[in-house]
Amino acid sequence: MHHKEKLEFTPVIGIEIHIQLKTRSKIFCSCAADYTNDEPNTHICPVCMGLPGSLPALNGEVIRQAMRAGLTLHCRILPTTFFFRKSYYYPDLPKGFQITQSDLPIAADGWLEIHDDAGRPKRVRVNRLHLEEDVGKLRHVTADGRIEGASSSFVDYNRSGLPLAEIVSEPDISSAREAVEYVTTLRRRVLHAGASDVDLEKGMMRFDANVSLKCSDGRWGNRVEVKNMNSFRALERAIEYEVKRQGSILAEGGEVMRETRHWNDARGVTTGLRVKEFYRKFIVEPDLPPLVITKEQVDEALASLPEMPEEKLVRYVGFGLSEGDAAVLIEEPAVARYFEACVTAGANPLRAGNWVRTEVLRVVNDAKVSADMIAVSPEALASLLAKVEDGGLSTTLAKSVFDALLDGLSFEDALKRSGASDGAVDVHALAASVVAANPDVVAEIRSGKDTKGKKVKFLVGLMMRESKGSVKVDEATAALEKVLA
Amino acid sequence: MSGLHELSTSEIAAGVKGKKFSALEVFDDCLNRTLACDGSLDALITTVVEDGRRAAEAIDGRVARGEPLGPLAGVPTVLKDNMCTYKVRTTAGSRILGGWEPPYSATVWTLLSEAGATLLGKSNMDEFAMGNTTGTSAFGPTRNPWDTSRVPGGSSGGSAAAVAAAYVPFALGSDTGGSIRQPASYCGIYGLKPTYGLVSRYGLIAYGSSLDQIGPFARSMADIALVMSVIARHDPRDSTSVPGKSFDFTVRKGSDALRGKRVALVREFQDFTLDKPIADAMKRVAKICEDAGAEITEVSLPTVGRYAVACYYAIAASEAHTNLARYDGVRYGAEADEHAGTLREAFEDVRSKGFGVEVKSRIIAGTCLTEPVRSEEYYVAATRVRTLIAEEFHRAFESADCILQPVTPSMPERIGEVDDDATKGYEADLYTLPVNMAGLPGLTFFTGYAESGLPVGLQLVGHRWSDATLVDMGAALEEIIGSPRVPAVVKGAA
Repeated sequence: MHHKEKLEFTPVIGIEIHIQLKTRSKIFCSCAADYTNDEPNTHICPVCMGLPGSLPALNGEVIRQAMRAGLTLHCRILPTTFFFRKSYYYPDLPKGFQITQSDLPIAADGWLEIHDDAGRPKRVRVNRLHLEEDVGKLRHVTADGRIEGASSSFVDYNRSGLPLAEIVSEPDISSAREAVEYVTTLRRRVLHAGASDVDLEKGMMRFDANVSLKCSDGRWGNRVEVKNMNSFRALERAIEYEVKRQGSILAEGGEVMRETRHWNDARGVTTGLRVKEFYRKFIVEPDLPPLVITKEQVDEALASLPEMPEEKLVRYVGFGLSEGDAAVLIEEPAVARYFEACVTAGANPLRAGNWVRTEVLRVVNDAKVSADMIAVSPEALASLLAKVEDGGLSTTLAKSVFDALLDGLSFEDALKRSGASDGAVDVHALAASVVAANPDVVAEIRSGKDTKGKKVKFLVGLMMRESKGSVKVDEATAALEKVLA
Repeated sequence: MSGLHELSTSEIAAGVKGKKFSALEVFDDCLNRTLACDGSLDALITTVVEDGRRAAEAIDGRVARGEPLGPLAGVPTVLKDNMCTYKVRTTAGSRILGGWEPPYSATVWTLLSEAGATLLGKSNMDEFAMGNTTGTSAFGPTRNPWDTSRVPGGSSGGSAAAVAAAYVPFALGSDTGGSIRQPASYCGIYGLKPTYGLVSRYGLIAYGSSLDQIGPFARSMADIALVMSVIARHDPRDSTSVPGKSFDFTVRKGSDALRGKRVALVREFQDFTLDKPIADAMKRVAKICEDAGAEITEVSLPTVGRYAVACYYAIAASEAHTNLARYDGVRYGAEADEHAGTLREAFEDVRSKGFGVEVKSRIIAGTCLTEPVRSEEYYVAATRVRTLIAEEFHRAFESADCILQPVTPSMPERIGEVDDDATKGYEADLYTLPVNMAGLPGLTFFTGYAESGLPVGLQLVGHRWSDATLVDMGAALEEIIGSPRVPAVVKGAA
């Protein structure tokens, strides 16, 4: 029944993203949200443990951050939104239901701009952003993570009740690459807004993808939900795998089963969930009245949003940076802040951009710290770059000064340790800068009027002063004569 | 000192403050009364002896040192066992909670203990408040102090019996569809179900969250008022607790609270049959109101009469099945048999053994009514009807200040009588549960004794936030009718 002609498949992809909103406390209680490195079950209370009699009380900070996240995705904020109970049984779900939003989310109808595979701009529509509470974490004793067969399982409820925003896109994405651009764009904007730390390693951003294929012969494949992707790479590979898997089924004339599949990152495959998914249903959450958001609250959230990364990029290109270089600088807000502080302190934007991209990012990546936390302040880097700029310091020397600064040395000590002030100064560069700075004196020398060599001695004197006496007179004179020759 | 247990809340607090007697003497006298009666009544699941006496001693210490004392200083009380009490076993009348001792206290208990009340016991109740006889309790039934062969009503039957039999001057119950008002009526005392949102539910083990409300039982309206003045407080932990409401619950003698009031009878209710003592009481009280200067009017509540019962059970069961989903044996309470193989088997084991039949039937009902394919037809439809019921009451209160109506159509039945026919129990809720559907306050007041010696209560229902007015009217009726007696508590024919 199927023809030999080559079939074309167009992937139709929608993505659901869970991000942990950045707040001090959990969504319905006052337990601290940051439990990094703390013992299991130390950030719990009657509310996030779902103890009998406990009731949820919505944290105002969560509402504000959800609005801010929604606004960065160009969503509108709904004036009245509701909470629901989503029922299913699992040990990590302490109440036997999850409090979530359904029909009327806090934010809806947004979009993000990405590029299609041909490089043309395209919009991915954001259906909605809704609030929900996170669940606990299960730890099984068996190595393969199965419950059956494990001698015991443990539950850590520290994560239970963390504020999550689920962001659901329309099925506007057509490739794994587009999917990655969509999620990285979204991550960058939310991160810049400060609405979430979106730290993938800490599980603050998780992805599910709905993948189906449209066939050139008019057939539509069934939709498959793929779960358990915790990195950009996993998302990309999972979609690529699924597109290929569904394509070969459809090419054989088969039917893609409508199901939920699990991405196995180690094996690089998706597998159907053997167990039928837990039956989930909704009723209105009677313990939370409808959430009413005023226009003033929306305006306040909007006003609190900083410059978005795309706008930064345009501004940096305006400094003369290439788009590629600027893109590196805007990725992390702390890096962008560092770069801008450096420029504000007087550094040449091009030079500052190069240094931040190479030296500062090296430190950030090696030490896994935020650019805000590194020992060289942007102002110190600006001073260092000024020395390079005026020729007093070679780039090589400047890098060793930078390393000395990183070790916590003062600017003077850093210069000394790097040899910049004990003869190892770039005498040639020093001579060149003195020559460049004194065109009148140089003109006199060149016209032959300086018969007694007084003017040359004057310039040598300047070099001595610039190098704080670390340059020898004959070296300085030789270098100067070379430059003037 | 004996006889202290029959004193009122304000008499005890005044006596303790004035050093006429100590808080410990009061506590011990109430404890003796409890121990003498509870073998016959089974009103309490837990009697709090040591901690209660220690709390009484602490009050006496404050008296001795001249420290400030709360309005309930040294007054022993009983809480329905669905209110969490720090480190005191809380069961909700169920086996599934095992010997759970909550790590926190319900807001109402925090408020009462801060006001100086001492905890004498946790009272028996229908399992998870599902029932109207206290007979579905995993701990066995409570008996009516006026006739121990009869039910005390429910689900707060233990609290009502404990107050009627003068274990304590006041107790707290919870009312989801009549669970304060009906046992108050059966036991011949006063019971107030406040406006939804007036008293915090934080720490109340939920049955139907949008219907549940905590309220007091007492043998006088003055005590109802005093307890309300302590527990009617906004609580940020309960998002349905309404801020900015403050009422004067002070009851004045000769207040003339009935004069000029429009007291309405419900037209649709007049077609229903009432037991003779209740029908007689309705006529007598209407006359009393008229004589006291009130105008007797009529209101119509067609939707209430026709649909309230069905919709109530749909909503209550839908909320209940989610509220009770947390009892899975993972974190607290009863544990699964260690031979349970899979997770599912472990859940099934805990829940099969832990819940009683009534609870299971409501969980199953709630599960079915909220299934995606049926939800629109049942659960969602019921919530819409609920809105209509609230609107109907709202219109009624444009031409009335309160509604005078029965609490139940019949006198307390013998223990075991209703258990065979669940639907009869459901019909008996018609006069109470629409009040919860609309979030209104309802007051059961004592009207006298029938020839059988059993007490007869009736109900005043008011508009939202008219709680203080209802209390005033109840106090005026008490002045005219007289207050309830304390029964001797003798074993009945059973």
